[in-house]
Amino acid sequence: MKKNLTSGIMTAAALAAALLLLQGPADSQAPTDAKAPPKGAPKGKGKGKARPTGPTPRMADGKPDFSGLWNGGGPVGDVGQGLMPGEEISLTPWGKKIMDSRQSKDDPEANCLPTGIPRIAPYPWRVLQTSTHIFYLFEGNIHSFRQIFIDGRKHPADLDPTWYGDSIGSWDGDTMVVDTIGFNDKFWFDFRGHPHSEQLHTIERLNRPDLGTLDIETQIIDPTAYTKPFKIKFTATLRPGEELMEYICQENQQDAQHLQGPAGLP
Amino acid sequence: MGAKVFVLAAALGVLVIPVVAHHSFGSEYDEKKPLKFENVTVTKLEWTNPHARFYVDVKDEKGNVTNWNFELASPNVLKRNGWTKNTLKEGDKVTVMGSAAKDGARLGHAQTVIGPDGKRLFAGSNTADGQ
Repeated sequence: MKKNLTSGIMTAAALAAALLLLQGPADSQAPTDAKAPPKGAPKGKGKGKARPTGPTPRMADGKPDFSGLWNGGGPVGDVGQGLMPGEEISLTPWGKKIMDSRQSKDDPEANCLPTGIPRIAPYPWRVLQTSTHIFYLFEGNIHSFRQIFIDGRKHPADLDPTWYGDSIGSWDGDTMVVDTIGFNDKFWFDFRGHPHSEQLHTIERLNRPDLGTLDIETQIIDPTAYTKPFKIKFTATLRPGEELMEYICQENQQDAQHLQGPAGLP
Repeated sequence: MGAKVFVLAAALGVLVIPVVAHHSFGSEYDEKKPLKFENVTVTKLEWTNPHARFYVDVKDEKGNVTNWNFELASPNVLKRNGWTKNTLKEGDKVTVMGSAAKDGARLGHAQTVIGPDGKRLFAGSNTADGQ
């Protein structure tokens, strides 16, 4: 079952990538990591690599182009690490009961399932932007993809619950505002197991203030799990000169069966 | 074993925060249960996701041999830090330092591997930079 799910998602991701390539760069600038170091230059060495500097890349219509290979930009261990000033996470009794019951071995990400939103896997991801769509292509947690419709459409009336929901985006100046509903309740926000219900509604504000920085502010709205909405902010860093690599998490997964105790440890 | 030590991990400032693989580090391994096996023989390498793994035969003082499974970072993270699938091979003699699994299995998280040429290799999935 899980295998079928994963292979289906991978196939869909491959299709999405192929379609985008077919569509070509007609409505997009050259890839923003065109300024990548020449071949043979040292590969990125993680933390030792400085954030690239330069002006915000822009589409033909002047709007920011978020395309590029990014690292980070969401919670991994604890969604609370991204709380914006004055914000707090306040669980409802329902949310607390769910969170308190969670065991580390059941973390969907440890079991090679998708991260959902706002969680990000600790692996690079690529943004591809056209005038009508923004695609996220994830290296991990499972070679999946996310799509954001920026062509002015509305959410469909009757959504099936899914891992990434239904995302529509619109511009507020240079900020892309992404509204997402239609989530399932299966993914966790972090290793700690912060929960949500199918009522989850996220509003993300994407900003690229310069070449190497992608700020993602996310408002979490879920009155079933949280007594009030809260906002988090995480920043992704551009990784020029790198490419996505294959990462098939289910190939040799041996971790979940050894995970001990309640969720919560990093 | 040569004295030349290539301290890549230290140079990168990694091995600081045990966060970041696709699973919780602290729920699987115990930092307070350090493992160190010197000059042990690699019996198998799995260049696979979500983690590369290598297996070593460890002989105790009575001569009994047990086989241990060590988790490395993912091949992608290892490749981005200079590894290839041939960096460790069956038959290599290595020294391994890391943390033992909490559940008592013959399983460890490799934080440092000193390879057959004496080089100290970046190893763990617990990098601090989000990989």
